[in-house]
Amino acid sequence: MSSSDPRNSPHSEPRSLLAGVLAVLVHVVFIAFLIFGVSWKDHPPEGMVVDIWTELPKPVQEPVKTQVPPKQPKPVEEPVKPKPEPEPETPKPEPVKPEPPKPEPPKPEPLKPEPIKPAPPKATVTPPVKKPDIAMKEKPEPVKEKPDLEAQKKKEQEKIKEQERLKELEKQKELEKKKELEKKKELEKQKELEKQKEAEKQKEQEKQKELAKQKEIEKQKALEKQKELQKQKEQELAAQRQREQEAKAQREAEAQRAAQQAAARNQVTSEIGKYKALIGAKIRSRTVMPPDLPGNPVVEFNITLLPGGDILDVKLIRSSGHASFDSAVERAIFLSKPLPLPPDPALFNEFRNLNIKVHYRE
Amino acid sequence: MSTTVTQDMSFLHLITSASVLVQLVMLILMLISLSSWWFIFRKLFVIRYEIKKTDDFEDIFWRGVDLNALHQRIISSRYESGSLERIFAAGFGEFTKHPAGSDLEAVMESTRRAMRATYQREMDYLESHLSFLATVGSVSPYIGLFGTVWGIMNSFRSLSSVTQATIAHVAPGIAEALIATAMGLFAAIPAVVAYNRYASRTDQLATRFESFMEELSNVLQRRAAE
Repeated sequence: MSSSDPRNSPHSEPRSLLAGVLAVLVHVVFIAFLIFGVSWKDHPPEGMVVDIWTELPKPVQEPVKTQVPPKQPKPVEEPVKPKPEPEPETPKPEPVKPEPPKPEPPKPEPLKPEPIKPAPPKATVTPPVKKPDIAMKEKPEPVKEKPDLEAQKKKEQEKIKEQERLKELEKQKELEKKKELEKKKELEKQKELEKQKEAEKQKEQEKQKELAKQKEIEKQKALEKQKELQKQKEQELAAQRQREQEAKAQREAEAQRAAQQAAARNQVTSEIGKYKALIGAKIRSRTVMPPDLPGNPVVEFNITLLPGGDILDVKLIRSSGHASFDSAVERAIFLSKPLPLPPDPALFNEFRNLNIKVHYRE
Repeated sequence: MSTTVTQDMSFLHLITSASVLVQLVMLILMLISLSSWWFIFRKLFVIRYEIKKTDDFEDIFWRGVDLNALHQRIISSRYESGSLERIFAAGFGEFTKHPAGSDLEAVMESTRRAMRATYQREMDYLESHLSFLATVGSVSPYIGLFGTVWGIMNSFRSLSSVTQATIAHVAPGIAEALIATAMGLFAAIPAVVAYNRYASRTDQLATRFESFMEELSNVLQRRAAE
């Protein structure tokens, strides 16, 4: 009875509940890792992106501003030297040196007063309103100016009169000049007419001379043409002779070539014939002839060859009428591979498709 | 912009925003993974327990104790016995059931049959659920891949309605789809490792059981001949 018990014996599985708890634990750990692992990676990019964009524009502007200020102070110093005013000089170095990057807005301000300060020196020279005050203190200068004004008035009146006289004289001179010019023009016209007449005469003479020359030239040309024609004729004759000679040479060369080609062909054909005979002999040597066939039956096969003498395909073209002979020759063709081929690969085309006739009796 | 990106890419958001089919695939994979891990731990404990019991029993048996006493002890404490003990109990019980004068060959044959039957049952028990682990290892990557392909298909289909396509349109969809593959691999890799390990362990146990069966039959035959 004890043997029936073990079949029903339930296997007391150890700690299956613990296994379930462990399985859940593994997944909780994995999911927690995923959630925290993924969220950790996302935070850094926020700060990075924002910082980069805020910082970038500043460095771009700074170099531009630093270049500008050095140019401005130079014009400022030059006008300052004539004016012994220490005030404009001191404010200028102060904004430039202590705050190099940001003083851009303050810089334009000191610059504006500078152009205004150069203006006061001009005011001292130009202002006519203040003349009385200056005249009282500096007498020599205004005294010299007053006599000059009276003398100038007199001189101007004299000058006007002289100018009028001069104008009248000039008008007279111009009239005289015009008359002279007219006379000269008339003389020139006469001279031109004479010149034209002389030129016409010269032209006629030249034409006559040219005509004579042309006639001479034509005569010379005619002579030259005759000479050239003679030369051409001679040349043509010489060329004809040369051509004839060349033609003869060519014919001879062609004849030689033809002879050579014929010889080569003969060699090739003899080579091809030799190897075809070799192939035929080899096939024949491997053929096991069926005994006692009547007459001299002939079987013809078409053999497709591969370079190297291997047989790709064998086709029966013309049967001998005796199946045993046909199959014997076909077997012999396969047995005799590789077939003998000429060593020159150029001749292989002659052997690519080979027709082989095998006679029962030689 | 940056805050929305982090919201989109958080793990839970990826799962909840996935399409229904992908979520279903994820749920299936989650259940498969849970059960496969449960079986992994169960089989780990069972096989460990069996190896320990086999070691102990072989130790006791070859020390030369009285077989009748050993058999009685095993019968009395059957629910704490190991596989090898049960095989021994079945064989020895069958051997002692025959009367003293019966044919030796017939007795040994029936003893072997009884041991063989118990051996088959024990091996069936040891190898149970291993096929499940093998199935999980081979199939769950494909389930995950199916979810991924479906998710990527959807994300590309939504891309077709956009005139200016950017990677930001596709990336969340692909990421949430790839979670399915990740889950499939998470279920598959431990299952494959556990299957290979437990299969080799049970094979070792099987050879030990078989060699013990042969040795026990020799021992019993000698005892019957005496």
